Formats: sequence, structure tokens, C-alpha cells
Amino acid sequence: MADTNKTKSHKWEMVIDLDRCTGCEACVVACHAENNIRISGEDEASEGRAINWIRIERYWEGEYPNVQTRFMPVLCQHCDDAPCEPVCPVYASYHTPEGLNAQVYNRCIGVRYCGNNCPYTARQFNWFDPHWDPPLEEQLNPDVTVRQNGIMEKCTFCVQRIRAGKEQAEKEGRPVRDGDIIPACVQTCPTSALVFGDRHDPESRVSQLARQDRAFHLLESQGTHPAITYLKRIA
Amino acid sequence: MNVGRRTLFKLAGAATAGSIIPGCKKEVDRLVPYLLPDDQIVPGVANWYASVCGECAAGCGILVRVMEGRAKKIEGNPDHPVNHGKLCAKGQASLQSLYNPDRLRHPFQREGPRGAGTFVPLKWEEGLQRLAQVLRDGRVPPMMVTRPVSGTLARLLSEFMDSMGGTLYFYAPDAELPLHAAWRESMGGDGAPVYDLAHADYLLSFGAPFLEHWLSPVAMGIAFGQMRQGRATVRGRYVHIEPRMSVTAANADQWLPIRPGSEGMLALGIGQLILDAHRSTAHGQEFERFHRFYGSVRLDEVEHVTGLSREVIVRLAQDFDAARAPVAIGGGSACSQTNGTLSLISINGLNALAHHLGRAPIAQGWCHDEARDDRSIPWLTEQMMFELAEKQDAGAGPVLLLYGCNPLFTMPRAVPIKTLFEQASFVVSFSSFLDETSEYADLLLPDRDALESWGDHVVENPAQTMGLSQPVVTPLYETQQIGDTILELSRRLNLGHGQSKTFYDLLRGRWKTVLADQPHTQTADWFEPEWIELLQQGGLWREPSQAAGPVNFAPSRAFEQARFVGEEPDYPFVLHPYASMALGHGEGANRPWLQELPDTLTTVVWGSWVEVNPRTAKDLGITHGDVVRVISPFGTLTASTVLFPGIHPDVVAMPLGQGHASYGRYAKNRGVNPAELLAPALDSMTGTLAAGATRVRIERTGEKRRLATLERPTMEPSDLIAIDRR
Repeated sequence: MADTNKTKSHKWEMVIDLDRCTGCEACVVACHAENNIRISGEDEASEGRAINWIRIERYWEGEYPNVQTRFMPVLCQHCDDAPCEPVCPVYASYHTPEGLNAQVYNRCIGVRYCGNNCPYTARQFNWFDPHWDPPLEEQLNPDVTVRQNGIMEKCTFCVQRIRAGKEQAEKEGRPVRDGDIIPACVQTCPTSALVFGDRHDPESRVSQLARQDRAFHLLESQGTHPAITYLKRIA
Repeated sequence: MNVGRRTLFKLAGAATAGSIIPGCKKEVDRLVPYLLPDDQIVPGVANWYASVCGECAAGCGILVRVMEGRAKKIEGNPDHPVNHGKLCAKGQASLQSLYNPDRLRHPFQREGPRGAGTFVPLKWEEGLQRLAQVLRDGRVPPMMVTRPVSGTLARLLSEFMDSMGGTLYFYAPDAELPLHAAWRESMGGDGAPVYDLAHADYLLSFGAPFLEHWLSPVAMGIAFGQMRQGRATVRGRYVHIEPRMSVTAANADQWLPIRPGSEGMLALGIGQLILDAHRSTAHGQEFERFHRFYGSVRLDEVEHVTGLSREVIVRLAQDFDAARAPVAIGGGSACSQTNGTLSLISINGLNALAHHLGRAPIAQGWCHDEARDDRSIPWLTEQMMFELAEKQDAGAGPVLLLYGCNPLFTMPRAVPIKTLFEQASFVVSFSSFLDETSEYADLLLPDRDALESWGDHVVENPAQTMGLSQPVVTPLYETQQIGDTILELSRRLNLGHGQSKTFYDLLRGRWKTVLADQPHTQTADWFEPEWIELLQQGGLWREPSQAAGPVNFAPSRAFEQARFVGEEPDYPFVLHPYASMALGHGEGANRPWLQELPDTLTTVVWGSWVEVNPRTAKDLGITHGDVVRVISPFGTLTASTVLFPGIHPDVVAMPLGQGHASYGRYAKNRGVNPAELLAPALDSMTGTLAAGATRVRIERTGEKRRLATLERPTMEPSDLIAIDRR
């Protein structure tokens, strides 16, 4: 089994348990720290130009006093049939063999068709060059590119961590184990609402959870076949 | 002595020469990062070092990813018994404290009048000499106010102040003094409350923001996840009672809005109903006190005061009583009232009652085996401020030493904290930033960042955790750890506990004593390898031990109703100030990541706002984005309105954390500080501020200001351009 595993391709997916998510937003800051996401400032943020690869959407239901709130962490859904991919004139947005919806920054010419075509508003555009007041730039992760003005960006499932995890496994001459590769948001999530792993491995935690009755996908009717499975909140 | 950065290296270097690294999960082949010479840095290779998060008192274990001598990312330490590898938003953002562009980079002294905020740079030698002189000349004993600290630093600070005949106070706006006071009377013993949510099947929270910033939010978050989905057959039910729906409350199966200050009253009603249900068995001496305390109110009174129907109250009592492992927790808004402690006695008493009725013990008190140095240190309460201000004469006040707190920002203006500063003969601050309080100092001797410091952190939890923190990066500036500054002062003043040359030596010495009591090899140099292992691990902890002491419900006073400041006709609303999840009481406001972190419920970034129930807003004729004046008997603030469906119609809420007049470029002149509105109302038992006891009124200004939000605003009807079509 181990030998076949070694050559078998991976399919990276995530499960988000809405019955566990508390809206604490640790994932949001962890993502900023890991992926060199720029600070926008109040003025740009009020124009809707702040960048978040993962955000917590909040929905109010009902009226006072019988009011309920629901939280939904939303990030790039890494769709199998991604609406953002066919519209890119320069193939900056493409699908990797491991199921990631990738963005090649060097190819991007900033036409923003991908962003317009994404039903999840997961893609964000850089309307200006990033700036860090010194010495804040010291915190930048050397494994991740800093995106400049005119570039589209979005969640990569922390591709640098996926690469590092695979390299490490290769160095040790073993297949990648479940739990070896953890994106920054998943790593920090206090309630373990986020789980990441290989869907090609039927025994991985992510595969087991995705088979639960509570599973659903975001905007399923769009036919995008997302790689992120949500588990319904109970009550 | 001119203690420059290089000298300090050498000092620390001499102390640690030959010690091998606290690197984590890595082969042991490097020196401490602190001492790592450039030629030993491998470009592109990350080292991980274990330490303790310094953002709040919870003491989560962290691992810091360091590349080329610079910290790049902070993650939770998977082996640490408090947070098991997890971390909150604040912890993740703590790199922005280290790399904050507005950090104080060397000592300063005041130029111009006190409080004007103008300073000139100073050498460490001059600064230390000046402070030593001032302390020597002081006519009254000095006074030190710090954030709560534990372990070696707590002992050092208290010994230092003792030897000067002065007093050391802890101060934190979220001190939870009512909780500890209530715990003693409702559960008995001196232990710290630990709520084992992971094993609860019914959680009744009275305002406790346990998923945001209460006690140990990451540990609570982990337990909450387990309570919900961690067990095969049980999903714990959660009901939250509070006038406003907090982020924590938003996770409840049911949120019950209640009139402010009536939380304890509701708990009385629930307790009484439970006692009634067990009338045939719940008698005898052990139930006597419960009957006396919970029987002191009539149920129709409870209905009237809380605004909840009899049906709802009965249902709560039945559900609590029917649960196998119920737990009641109280905090946040429930304790920020004039009857705060009494409410918490009433709430925590439900746990004592459940215990007597044979339910699983979810709420338990934990005590450390060893005596804690910080337990005897008094807290600076708002009531104490009034007492101190009365006692002092102008100009003859003590030398004031300040560390890790910003009381001039977090205490209401109506509390005479400023008087203390004005009357002090000299004010010195060890803060890393210029904030409202350190601007009032005569001398600034900036501390190092937590990621540049040695230290230990004692946590009162079942694993009896003692976290160990180490400098994971080369100190950026000419700052000095407060421990070293105090040792240096002791030497200059000949106070007699200057045997340890550096704080690092002191720390090691203390840990050597701790470890000597534990099994270890009998070689002469046994300590060194143990010490390295502890640094790699991130501290010392044990297998969680079993529960401490028996439960003893012994309230010293009968329940009282909450009182509010401001006459109802003039001030129809109760102001509900709450600590922002990201910015806390303001300490997070200088971190751009936290400023740009959307408030989960309103999605506002970089600002302040007033939350109003949509029905109330309609009555007042205001709508989303309208700028209103919030007027209390003590002040007026203006802010934009947010229509908030999850708030009692008679309550308006404002987040704390913004409204800084200082504290760096990201915090300064942004939003408003609701503390300015607050009346000096106090909790009747502990004397801490009753922050939720102020009444306000709302006035329109006619102005409209759009808040920066993550959520796109719905289009206003006026934005549509209609055409006439015949």
C-alpha cells in the first residue's frame, strides 16, 4: 500500500465544520502572517480593497429577540471546475494536477476577469503596491512572493507548505502522511473547525469528515465542484 | 555602566556559553539564537524555538519560526498543555509588537511639562543613575503598578518593592477580581476556576466571553470544539444570557437577552427552581445555605427584573437540572455591575448545587502545589484609586513605577487616576511604547519585547504548567529587560538581592531549585542538559492531577440588585462597553493586522461604532451610518451607528480598544474610547469598576459617516436613480 501511495497523486481538500467554527478569526491573522498579505489602511479598506484570503462571513437570521448568527469561513474553494480558469487570457489562473487552483503572478496582467467570474469573491486585486512601515517588513515570509500593484491574488492552500511537506517526505523516503501538511489557517484554528488533507487517501481525516451527512458545498448549483466541504452547523 | 546592546550580548553570552540550543523539533546543533553568529546562520533554513506568548495572562506555549535571525511566524506549541498547538488572532499578531515601527528604541527623559509628551533621548547609564537617585531621595515609599506577572519576575518585583518599603500593585482592566472573589464564596478554596467544557453536556453562560478573551480563550476554544463535535454520541448544548450578543454568544444554541445587571437574579431563580424540584431530598445541613441564598427572591420578582418569562426561566432550570454534566459560567458583562461579585456567587453557586446533587464536576478549582509569589500581590482597583487620591498631598506623592499597563487610557476619567500622576514626585515607565500613560512619565526605560526576553510564566491549570520563554531573536534596539533594569537598580541602591548579575541568572537559579526537587541524574552538571531540554520543550508541566478540595458554598452576603448611574428619564439606555476581540482594552490597537481584522459581528475595520437595536433606532429616527452623540453624566462621544439585531432595545453597546490619543501611528486619533463615558461605579465587594453601570442618551447629529466594513453595504434607496416612465 505504501508503495502505491508514493506514486499516487494527491488531491488537496479542506473540510470546514460550521458546528465548531466560533468566528474567532485566528485563521485570518495566521493567513496574513504566513502569506505576506499587505496592510491596506482604513481608506483603501473602506473602498473594499483590503485583502483577505480567508474571511468570516456573518449572517443574521430572524429578528430580535429570536435572532441567530451564523459564521462561514470563506476562502478560495479550489474548484474542480473553476469559473476563474477558462477566462484568463494569459493562463495565469490554472489548475494543478493536485487539485489546486493556482495563480501564476508572473503571468497575471491584471484584467480581473477571473475575479469577476468567481462566485465566491475569493480573488482580490492589488490596486496599489504593498507597503510595510520599517521594520515590519522583517516579518515577511521568505517562502512567499510579495504581490505588486496590478496583480490578482488569492488563497493557495499554503502551497509553500505543501511543497515543503512533500520534499520532507521524499527526503525521508516515505509517502506524505495525513497531517504532515497543514496550511496556516488550519494549524492555528483553536476548535479544529478546519481540517486539511488528501482526498485521494480514503483514510485521511478530511476524507472521513467529507463523507459525513452534514456535508455540503458552497453555491453547489453553480456546478463548480469545490474542494472545500462544509459541515452544517447543528441547530 | 553603559549597557549597550553588544555589552548585553556579551553578558548573556558569558552566562550561556556552551549551552546548546533550545531549537525545537530539530537536530541539536546550534547555539541559542540570541548568540547565533552570522556565519552560523544557514540562509533559507528555518529554526523553531519554543517560548511563551506574552499577549495575555493565559500563557499559551508558542513556537517561533526564525530565519536569518529574524522571527517570521508564530504558531502554538503542540506539546503545550494550555493551547495544544493552537493560537488566537492576538497571538498570531504578536510579531507586530516586536517589529512595531513605533517601539521605543532607547531610554528617554521628559522635556517640558509633565504629560506634554515631549522627550529627549538618554543613555542607559544616565537613565539608571537618575532613577537610582530619585529612589534614594524619595521621601515617601515608591509605588509600582504592573500588569499581572508571575514566576521569577513577580518574585523579583515584589522583593524589590519590599526592600524599598514600597508597594507593588497589579493592574489590568480585565482582572476578573469578582470571579476570584465569587469563587471563594461559592465553591470554596483558593484555587483558580477551571471549567472543563470538553466534558460538559449543558453550558449555561451568563455573559462570559470565553471564546474571545476570558481566562484562557484558546484553551476554552479547544474545549468548546470538543464539547460540540469531539464526542461520538453527545453534542453539548449551550445557552448564553447577556444583554448583547457577543461573538461568543453568537455560537450559542440559544441567546437570551436580559436586562443589564439581572444575571445574578436569573441564577437565583434557576437555583430556587432546582431546589424546589429536589424538595424531598435536598435538605439537611449541606443544603441549608443554598436554601437561604437562593430562596431570598420571589420568582415574579425575577421575571420582572430580568425581563424573561416564567416559562423561559423554568425551562432553563429544568435543562440545567436534567443534564448529566451541567456547568454555569459567569463573567464579562455579568460581573461589570455594582452587584458583579454577588451575581457571580449566585451563578457559580449553581455549580456547587449541581455538585451536591451528584452531577459530574465540570467547574473545579485548581491550586498549585507550590506557593505562588504573585498571589499575595494586591490589585489596584478603582476604589483604591479613590482612597489613594484622598491620602496624598500635591507634589509629595511617591515615585511611581509603571510597567505593562495603560491605566490613564483604560480607567474612566471620573476615577482620579490622573491625580495620582500629577501628585507623584517622579514617574518612570518601563513600557515598550509611548502610550497615554507613558506620555506622563518623566523617564522612559523601555523593556524588551516578549520575543527578546527571558522569563517564566506560571499557569494555574490541572497540568500545573510553568512556561519558559527565551529570546528567540537578537534584540532589535537598545532596550533592556525590566528584570535586568530592576537588578541593576538594586545593586546601585545596595538592596541586597543583587547576587544575580542578570535576570537570566536569576531565572536559571530559580529553575535549578525547582528541578532539584525532581528526579534527576546525580552528576555534577545535571542542570545544564535538563535546562536545555526544558527550553526546547517550552517549559515544565505534569500529568493533569485530580480535583482539589471539597466544594463549600458559603456566601458572606445576601444578593443585591444592580444600581446604575444616571436618571432613567434623562438617560434612557444602559451603555454596554465590551472589550474588542482583536484590540482588547486597547493594547492591540497598535498592530495593523488587528486593526484590519474585521470585527466578526459588524465586520468593521479600523474604527469605532455604537450598536443600536433596529427597533430602538427606528424610534430615535436614526439609521445605519448615522453619526450620533452618546451622552452620559460624565462625558460625550460621537460615533457612527451600526444597526445590531442582537442587542436589548434598552441597551446600546460600544467596543473598547480605540480612541487612543497616543500609542503610535496605527492607534493614535482613531475612533473613540467609551471609558471616557463611564461613571465611577464600583462592584460592591471587590471595588473594581462596574463598567456596565452607566446610563446614556443618544442624540442625532444629522451627519452620516460610512464605516469601513468588510461586508459591502446594501445599496441605499437614494443611490438608485429612478426615471419617470409614462
